[in-house]
Amino acid sequence: MRALVIDDSRTMRRIIAGTLQPLGFETLEAADGREALDILEAGTEVDLACIDWNMPVMNGLDFVTAVRENRTWRGVTLMMITTESEHSQIVRALAAGAHEYVIKPFTPDAIRDKLQLLGLVGLEESA
Amino acid sequence: MSLDINIALDDFSGTDPIWVIAEEVFTAMVDGEPGFLRPWEGDQAELTDPMYAWVDVHGALPGRVLLTAERETVEHLSRALLAMGEDEVLSETDMADALGEVANVVGGNVKALVPDPGALTLPQVAHERPEIDAEGLMYELPLDWRGRMVVIGLWRLL
Repeated sequence: MRALVIDDSRTMRRIIAGTLQPLGFETLEAADGREALDILEAGTEVDLACIDWNMPVMNGLDFVTAVRENRTWRGVTLMMITTESEHSQIVRALAAGAHEYVIKPFTPDAIRDKLQLLGLVGLEESA
Repeated sequence: MSLDINIALDDFSGTDPIWVIAEEVFTAMVDGEPGFLRPWEGDQAELTDPMYAWVDVHGALPGRVLLTAERETVEHLSRALLAMGEDEVLSETDMADALGEVANVVGGNVKALVPDPGALTLPQVAHERPEIDAEGLMYELPLDWRGRMVVIGLWRLL
């Protein structure tokens, strides 16, 4: 399984990658939505994208919209990981095509639980 | 310490919501367990070589969430966030990014308390205190993280 971690903060990318790697993910990183689209457009296969909302160049919501408009990437699971915690923002992200939504701060267990719900992590990883 | 700002306090049953946010952020992101952050007791000493990180919240009540800590504290905080050992090289960029991300997460959660919030700006980090009207200070919470002071300030943008 390969995950693309999209966040303008290198710190947060490292935290999220450090959470995903023990769950069996190979991780790639992008600092904004445009950089992430470049990776997908280059033909890199990705199973999961973890997406921050507020980023320069292209924000997370625009990235989700762009991915959902391209059928080539319909197999990519989209999980927002963001500080945007208002209900209206969560609804916007899910309506745009995000599969899951995690609010920062998060614990590694919260990420693992969401990935189990999405079927991307088996129960054995929770041991 | 009173919270003299116009945010929704009803759900907190008297608990300082900024403290709740700070404790959640440090427990989840920095320490991995509770108990290392507590309210600062005693006088606030002047910080040596301080660093500042802030995000602005636009909307009906435009404001700024400002974190202040000594550079040495930021170094320890960054190593904790990045799970880096003492022997690993930590750059100024890493430290600025780490402090900025803490401000971003605190600020994002504060934004959720504000009625009709607008956009949250990207975090900014500096060694100089950002210019801000002194009369705009609404609330300040000095914290003790592992014996080191971290201050969270909420400012109204006038």
